[in-house]
Amino acid sequence: MAMISELPEAADGPEPDDGITARAVSRSFGAVRAVEHMDFHAPAGKVTALIGPNGAGKTTLLLMLASLLAPDAGSISVGGLDPRRDRAEVRRRLGWMPDTLGVWESLTAREILTQMARFYRLPAQSIGTRVAEMLERVRLDDLADQPARVLSRGQQQRLSLARALIHDPSVLLLDEPASGLDPGSRVELRLMLRQLAGEGKAVVVSSHVLSELDEIADGAVFVNKGRTVRRQTIEEAAAAGRRYAVTASDVAALAARLTELGLAFRREVGRRPSVSLMLASDDDAERLLRDLVLAGVGVNSFAPASGALEETYMSLEGERQ
Amino acid sequence: MSHATEDRQHTADQGTTGGYLPGVRDVVVLELKQRLRSRGWYIMLAIWFVLTGLVTWLTWASWNASQAAQRGIPGYVPPPESGPGSMIFEVVLAFVLLFALLVAPALSANAVNGDRAGGTLAILQVTLLQPGQILWGKFFAAWAAALAFLVASTPFLVIGVALGGMTPGHVLVALLMLAVEVGVVCAIGVGISALAGRPLFSIVVTYLAVAGLAVGTLIAFGLGAGLTQGTVLANQAQYRAYEPLNNGPVEPEYTCSGPLQEQMVMRSERVAWLLAMNPYVVVADAIPYKDRSQERSFSSVGAIEGVSQGARSALAGPEGTYPCANGEVKPRYLAQSTPMWPLGLGLQLLVAALLMWLGWRSLRTPAHRLARGTRIA
Repeated sequence: MAMISELPEAADGPEPDDGITARAVSRSFGAVRAVEHMDFHAPAGKVTALIGPNGAGKTTLLLMLASLLAPDAGSISVGGLDPRRDRAEVRRRLGWMPDTLGVWESLTAREILTQMARFYRLPAQSIGTRVAEMLERVRLDDLADQPARVLSRGQQQRLSLARALIHDPSVLLLDEPASGLDPGSRVELRLMLRQLAGEGKAVVVSSHVLSELDEIADGAVFVNKGRTVRRQTIEEAAAAGRRYAVTASDVAALAARLTELGLAFRREVGRRPSVSLMLASDDDAERLLRDLVLAGVGVNSFAPASGALEETYMSLEGERQ
Repeated sequence: MSHATEDRQHTADQGTTGGYLPGVRDVVVLELKQRLRSRGWYIMLAIWFVLTGLVTWLTWASWNASQAAQRGIPGYVPPPESGPGSMIFEVVLAFVLLFALLVAPALSANAVNGDRAGGTLAILQVTLLQPGQILWGKFFAAWAAALAFLVASTPFLVIGVALGGMTPGHVLVALLMLAVEVGVVCAIGVGISALAGRPLFSIVVTYLAVAGLAVGTLIAFGLGAGLTQGTVLANQAQYRAYEPLNNGPVEPEYTCSGPLQEQMVMRSERVAWLLAMNPYVVVADAIPYKDRSQERSFSSVGAIEGVSQGARSALAGPEGTYPCANGEVKPRYLAQSTPMWPLGLGLQLLVAALLMWLGWRSLRTPAHRLARGTRIA
């Protein structure tokens, strides 16, 4: 309970039954405490990002949420059900995409999805159409009858996603789904995850590609050293201020004007001379840009230096040191 | 759309435990599809076939050669009933069992942790499959793959029958026992593979377990017998003077007389269960052979019969084999009516069941304890 007081946004009462919730879960492997008193909630219909540095306990938390690993303490609820008691029902609602690809290499994409459908005991007569539907959804229909080993990493990744979705789960857990994807596939993944959330699923994405999560996540849970360190929605992250980078043909003039306005800024070392500064909101940014232009400073570029989530992440990293 | 699918799912599923066997079958199908598509399995099968054929041919050729040499001896009368059948059968059987014991661990001992290393085990575990279904599926797939090797060697066992001296019943019993022995090794392999972290380790451990059964039991029996010094009450055996063998039945060879005295003996029956666990003993003991206790002459005894009789006399102990123990004449041949293989097979099944159970425990999810250094996914 002491943990909750550290979380300004944590709801104190019983959490809603939709989506997936972990309450004060802990798990250690021998002497290593991978997860300690972690709280997590991913509501239905939203994409929730799970963010943290390597070794923060993201994968361990996801394994516990996926009902593969039992927490040493704490509880997990999937749509109000406890995985320990209603194992089958929970699994029917969970889709899990691991960070390791793990494909049966000699099977074709179609066979893999068919097997998975059978393991989830989908009615036999609908398996064929369901598999075809999923193959189309992840654009593997041309490669459906190729052995999985000839698929590229990105294609295998998409197959893995289709595998997690075959039984139409209401909670989707994705461990680093974007790693190894080319930019085109990333955009596609983004669209697909938004679409899935739009269908009412609770989507959990762990990643450290933060700029990406800005676009898809509705909220984020930051974890570090096995603990939940902060929860925020994207709006909150944006409201907390964002660093902007400004370049100008005459940096000295730019610096002079900013000093005049009484704004704290720092000179960035980079390929092009620039300054960066924290701005509280989009309105502030608008005002500053207008002011600079009117003051005759030749602004070349004026843009957020980092994503909203990255800002929080970096501030947490700073706190850590 | 999603709701419609979910509803259909629920109506199609009868309870959460329903459909245990279909789940096992689905895992077997998944496993066999992969095995049948790996070229290595076919290469092994081809090598096996050629090797068994070679052994059969060599046995037959060497028997022919020895016959030819014997016929060269002046005055040699060939025994009326002998043919190469029994010998080919025995050699091929011993060879097939040896190689089955060597192949089965390779086919089974990475079944679970190989998937764990490849990241595909957790994919199965997260579905509605129960740990038992995964384990049984893996076991039956490994067993089926190993049985293909037995099928490949069937023609050569049949040759043993065709060349005389054996009945189809022999081949049937032999194949059945070989299949069961291979199954035991596969179960041990699958169980160990669920327990051990790395495939290499579990394969080595399974080979050691097989070596323990095939060789270790003999060593343990030999060493253990030395620790079983005991006594038996026996009196003096009076052996008959030499008579031509065809003058009457061979047995009894001696008569017992005099006071009962304590004799130092090895109580081999106390450690005979070790011997019983040997796969060769199990197979040899299960194959029927003629009851020779009423026979008039010593005919040459086949290896199978020899192994079976040796093991049975160890199990009978001095009470059943020591001359004149308790003042009774002991039969030279122990009757076939007291088979030993159920004991050995029972013990083997006990070991296999224990390992499978431990393996099942390690596959349960949500997992509480993980083996050191293993990642669940």
